Amino acid sequence: MAAFIVRMGPLLVLWLAVFLSGTWAVDRGNFKTCDQSAFCKRQRALKPGQSPYRALLETLELTNTKLTLQLINDNNKVRLLLELYRLQGNMTRVKINELKPLKPRFEVPDVLINDPPTEPLSLLSQDENGVVLSLGADSQWLIVSAKPFRLDIMEGREVLLSLNSRGLLAFEHLRIRKDTQVDPEGAEKKEETDAANEPAEGETAKEDGMWEETFKSHTDNKPNGPSSISLDFSLPGVEHVYGIPEHADSLKLKTTDGGDPYRLFNLDVFQYELFNPMALYGAIPVMLSHSAQRTMGIFWLNAAETWVDISSNTAGKTVFGQMLDYVQGSSETPQTDVRWISESGIIDVFIMLGPTPTDVFSQYSSLTGTQAFPPLSALAYHQCRWNYNDQEDVAAVDQGFDEHDIPYDFIWLDIEHTDGKRYFTWDPHKFPQPKDMLQGLVDKRRKMVTIVDPHIKVDSSYKIHNEIRSKGFYVKNKDGGDYEGWCWPGNSGYPDFTNPEMRAWWASMFAYDQYEGSMENMYTWNDMNEPSVFNGPEVTMHKDALHGNWENRDLHNLYGLYVQMATAEGLIERSGGVERPFVLTRAFFAGSQRYGAVWTGDNTAEWEHLKISIPMCLSLGLVGVSFCGADVGGFFKSPSTELLVRWYQTGAYQPFFRAHAHLDTPRREPWLFGPENTALIREAVRQRYALLPYWYQLFYHAHHSGQPVMRPLWVEYPQDTATFSMDDQFLLGRDLLVHPVTEEGGRGVTAYLPGKGEVWFDVHTFQKHNGAQNLYIPVTISSIPVFQRGGSIIPRKARVRRSSSCMEHDPYTLFVALSPKRFAQGELYIDDGHTFNFDKQKQFIHRRLSFANKALSSRNLAPGSQFITPSWIEKIVILGASKPSKATLKTPDGKENLLEFEFDASMSVLTLRKPGVNAGVDWTVVLQ
Amino acid sequence: MFTNCSLGHCHIIVAVVLWSICVDSRKIRGISLSYKRFYRERKSFLCIDGSKMIPFDQVNDDYCDCMDGSDEPGTAACPTGRFYCTNLGYRSHYIPSSRVNDGICDCCDASDEYRSQTPCQNTCRNLGQRERAEVEGQTRVLGERLRLKQLLIEEGVLTWREKQAQLRDLQRVSDDLQTQLDDLRKEEARRKEEADALREREIGARETADNSPTSHYRPESPISVFKELDSNRDGSITVDEVQAKLSPVQDEEHALSEDEAVALLGGAHRVDLSRFEETLWTSLRTGDSVTIKGRRGVPGSLADEDPNIKAAVSAAEKASADLKRVEDAYETVYMEIRDLREKLSIDYGSEREFLFLHDQCFQLKVYEYIYELCPFSQVTQKSASGEVVSLGKWGSWAGPPENPYCQMRYESGEPCWQGPTRNTMVMLICGTETALRSVKEPSKCQYVMELQTPVSCQPALRQRGVHSEL
Repeated sequence: MAAFIVRMGPLLVLWLAVFLSGTWAVDRGNFKTCDQSAFCKRQRALKPGQSPYRALLETLELTNTKLTLQLINDNNKVRLLLELYRLQGNMTRVKINELKPLKPRFEVPDVLINDPPTEPLSLLSQDENGVVLSLGADSQWLIVSAKPFRLDIMEGREVLLSLNSRGLLAFEHLRIRKDTQVDPEGAEKKEETDAANEPAEGETAKEDGMWEETFKSHTDNKPNGPSSISLDFSLPGVEHVYGIPEHADSLKLKTTDGGDPYRLFNLDVFQYELFNPMALYGAIPVMLSHSAQRTMGIFWLNAAETWVDISSNTAGKTVFGQMLDYVQGSSETPQTDVRWISESGIIDVFIMLGPTPTDVFSQYSSLTGTQAFPPLSALAYHQCRWNYNDQEDVAAVDQGFDEHDIPYDFIWLDIEHTDGKRYFTWDPHKFPQPKDMLQGLVDKRRKMVTIVDPHIKVDSSYKIHNEIRSKGFYVKNKDGGDYEGWCWPGNSGYPDFTNPEMRAWWASMFAYDQYEGSMENMYTWNDMNEPSVFNGPEVTMHKDALHGNWENRDLHNLYGLYVQMATAEGLIERSGGVERPFVLTRAFFAGSQRYGAVWTGDNTAEWEHLKISIPMCLSLGLVGVSFCGADVGGFFKSPSTELLVRWYQTGAYQPFFRAHAHLDTPRREPWLFGPENTALIREAVRQRYALLPYWYQLFYHAHHSGQPVMRPLWVEYPQDTATFSMDDQFLLGRDLLVHPVTEEGGRGVTAYLPGKGEVWFDVHTFQKHNGAQNLYIPVTISSIPVFQRGGSIIPRKARVRRSSSCMEHDPYTLFVALSPKRFAQGELYIDDGHTFNFDKQKQFIHRRLSFANKALSSRNLAPGSQFITPSWIEKIVILGASKPSKATLKTPDGKENLLEFEFDASMSVLTLRKPGVNAGVDWTVVLQ
Repeated sequence: MFTNCSLGHCHIIVAVVLWSICVDSRKIRGISLSYKRFYRERKSFLCIDGSKMIPFDQVNDDYCDCMDGSDEPGTAACPTGRFYCTNLGYRSHYIPSSRVNDGICDCCDASDEYRSQTPCQNTCRNLGQRERAEVEGQTRVLGERLRLKQLLIEEGVLTWREKQAQLRDLQRVSDDLQTQLDDLRKEEARRKEEADALREREIGARETADNSPTSHYRPESPISVFKELDSNRDGSITVDEVQAKLSPVQDEEHALSEDEAVALLGGAHRVDLSRFEETLWTSLRTGDSVTIKGRRGVPGSLADEDPNIKAAVSAAEKASADLKRVEDAYETVYMEIRDLREKLSIDYGSEREFLFLHDQCFQLKVYEYIYELCPFSQVTQKSASGEVVSLGKWGSWAGPPENPYCQMRYESGEPCWQGPTRNTMVMLICGTETALRSVKEPSKCQYVMELQTPVSCQPALRQRGVHSEL
């Protein structure tokens, strides 16, 4: 019976998946399933078993930096070259390419920030079965088994991760088409393929889609033939894997048995559905695994269409089945198996061995860089709509915010602001004086973002088009002409952003004298950069379009990254390298974090979409992209007032905070829903502004060390298995826990407060709660539950003004939440908020705030840095305090001042009045 | 956006405030004269809400002590505080405390930016002068506008009376027509009865009469006439046969020419029975051009034979025509009354001041579109290609309860693609001319227009004062 249940589990899942997938398909027909993608179908048909690959140990070469070794496929005798690197920071790189490919295979450029520094590998032992290499000091080994070929990474006697243990390494070597071509290399080649135990080419080639495949009305010509690659990874002891965004799915990745694999292929998906593995606008081929013992990461550096299969030996089991295993002692170790399949390129995979989440973040950011440090104002509130119609409209909305005393920093202009969707231009009737408009915003210390998409109207009277065409900068079609497709302007060309010369030219277009009507307070939004091609296959570019020598097939997922890269470079250049850029992108790839912010695309004004914004941004944060947000209110459709309010409350605690709405929806500026709702939205936005010092500090850390801003609970509580699947609440940094209300008519939420022996303080009421408990919190419409961790110090600015710039010199209020041991620690980071001087000239203040032994002190964390701030410490609020008899402020000049204070005994809140000391100097407050 | 209408322009009278005598040696920043009493210098300060007592030197010390923000009227310290811009020479007002020293000049006297880097100029004097000039100008203009308004109201009153009179006249006409209708209906019925009776009698007489083929009293069928004319019995009538048997009505001796005969046969030289019915038979029936030789009158008719019947029938026809004419007239009048009643039932404002807009239309060209507003009727948009789209039909007044006549709503226009129906909100603003001033589409298919008219002008409100220069 038990066995029956165990077996029926997966079957039931399979049956449900098949049954359900047919029923709510709305637009799915526009997008491929694995079965409709020829290489995915071919690869997935290959089942686990004995690998045909064998390591030729006699070819082993070990140098200071790497080990190389040839592999042979015993079925077709094609040889591969394996390269193994031990990278600094506890990483292993595994590269597999054809030993002698017919022509070079694509290797992804511009994603790694440098050639990753290596560490020497040492050979521990070698025999005819394989070799054992030492991976440095942590008693870690890499075992290369020869027949069949597999790699195992061990720590002590424990296997951390195995490659090709299921025999799914498959490398479609480049070949000459047999049915039509005369083989130029003659007999030698022929021999090889004769021996191959692969499907005969020719008749079956077409049905396998090796040389051509058709989807809907589009035919993909494949002059290079089959080129896909695949490799499996086994993770013993792992039941939870995360990452590989972008998918509208839960944080914890699901097994894909019986359904489609997770797909990574940048696509413009109209009205995307939730909770499925379909591809969306961006792709980051990075997966994290986590167990109570260890966190690791797999970075599959490949920019072609990619599918990821996940299976697990425990996922299908019922609780009863698992218990039975336990009782009978027959339990196998839980294990997750992952398989990556890409259409072209090479296998180039980075295994990040952790062991902690923090380590994995550092490891990944050492490869691809960290989050761009945004201008402080970009962390404030953004007001967007498709479209603000004209200058008058912009002025009226700006005025509306002041009349209703709601802060905002950026107002956005969507595509209608241009002259006929010609980017870098203005509609002459609606925006005749853009500089006047921008100056109006400067006067209010506010900013603007205009949209610049990568599709360029084919129009011989349009300067941008003419220049791109004459310079030969457009992507080419398979026949060598300029590739053209339909997008907003009608017939459009697509600049080849993979070309560095093109990017340099594009960047130069943002110069103030090139982009007419632009000013210092105008920033940029790159939309549609998957790229979106309305009449293309799957609404994107034909895979046989050419970027120089490479097909779009090889680098599709990189296009969006390059667009944002070139745009951000333009914004830096126009300021002479002084100002930090701000660029929002919809498409992205590994490394995109270096160029700005991303958002989750065209979502819908529904409660489920509010809910999914949490796991979608958490997943992105885990793989480097911290600056993430969802359209507040939902893009399509019109939100109910309650949903809008709840979305503002949630968005205020997510990194990128922008309201946006579709052209067809009624206006929804915050004051259009009656005074009560205006007040609720005002309060949500004000909470965001008050917390900006903390947000800025978190982004400084994200920039500095690659730690995500918005974190799943397990990142900070890696041993607490209760947190592993949680995605209805999240942490900001370590110290704030946010549990949004995402249920219509919600009267309460159950929040999980982690940490045995820890305490959490409700930031609204200062009430203290114990950690390691599920806590039911009644809620009203006025706010969502937010908690500050006992043991932390969070700086805020209590004087919320019209824009973040207006608050620049304001004083700080420190919220000190004491741990049960009467201890707390925090930081304060201050710089000018918008230039690179923090980096180039070390102009910043970074201080450690700590409370211990009844004394709160501020000391310098960055002695080499210098910055002068007029900001001072206005107030110190100590939560969980006891009443002192006196409070003394000591400053470095030796002065001592008694501070006035108030003590609220019912909540144990001590408020120290006006220390008044400058925020950039050393000081101590002693309580007695 | 649509809920507030200003009641005309805010007009300011110059109020000389006797405040110089009250200026204290020690100024508490950010308070108005009327609040000065709360800030008399003592040892301590009581928050205005009474919640807390603090040392006086904590007033305006850039730290918020009072929940109500009253201890920091001159700084940005209190989230709920407000700062009083004295704006000597211009209009005083409050700003939120958060706008104090935020680098943006809010008070024209620059008093809000006393500690920021931003150099603010005192512009109150200029603003005051400009505003006073404007006010004076506007007062003059306003007088003119109000005069125009009065004229339009009077015009409206006249129109209203006229329409009422017209309605009464129409009502009278309608009543007359009703009486006539009654009479004519009876007359028509009577005449018809008479004619019918005569006819019945005649038919009865004929049925008993001689049955000879040449009898003039038997109604003839096309077949019998066809057979009569088809002399050679070949099933068709030829030109020869026509010439032989028919003659013009006026002159029986005259023979028909070949061309005339061909014309009678519809352009043919030979016709069968069915063509005959369509051509010659029709001519014979009307009886005004040709007739069968030796025969009088029109075949198939009997009325013309008996002058009595003929008279009765024509009398009945006349009665019927008279009735029809009067019925039509009644219908027209009825419609006019209905339209007029509908028109008169619309709310034209408390003094019917908007009545004059009825029957007028106003146009405005914005980019490639021409917008047309016909008040109390409809709003349309005409594209360059000539396509006309309805942006809404008259719905109702839509201003706030205290001033309902400052907005009009037009609804249920043409539906939008994937959206609701188009509608238009018309904002009425004060101006000399009556004209459409602007058209906007803030959300897709939701239009907002500004209609300027003197009727929307209000007498100056004496609300706020301007400090004179001291």
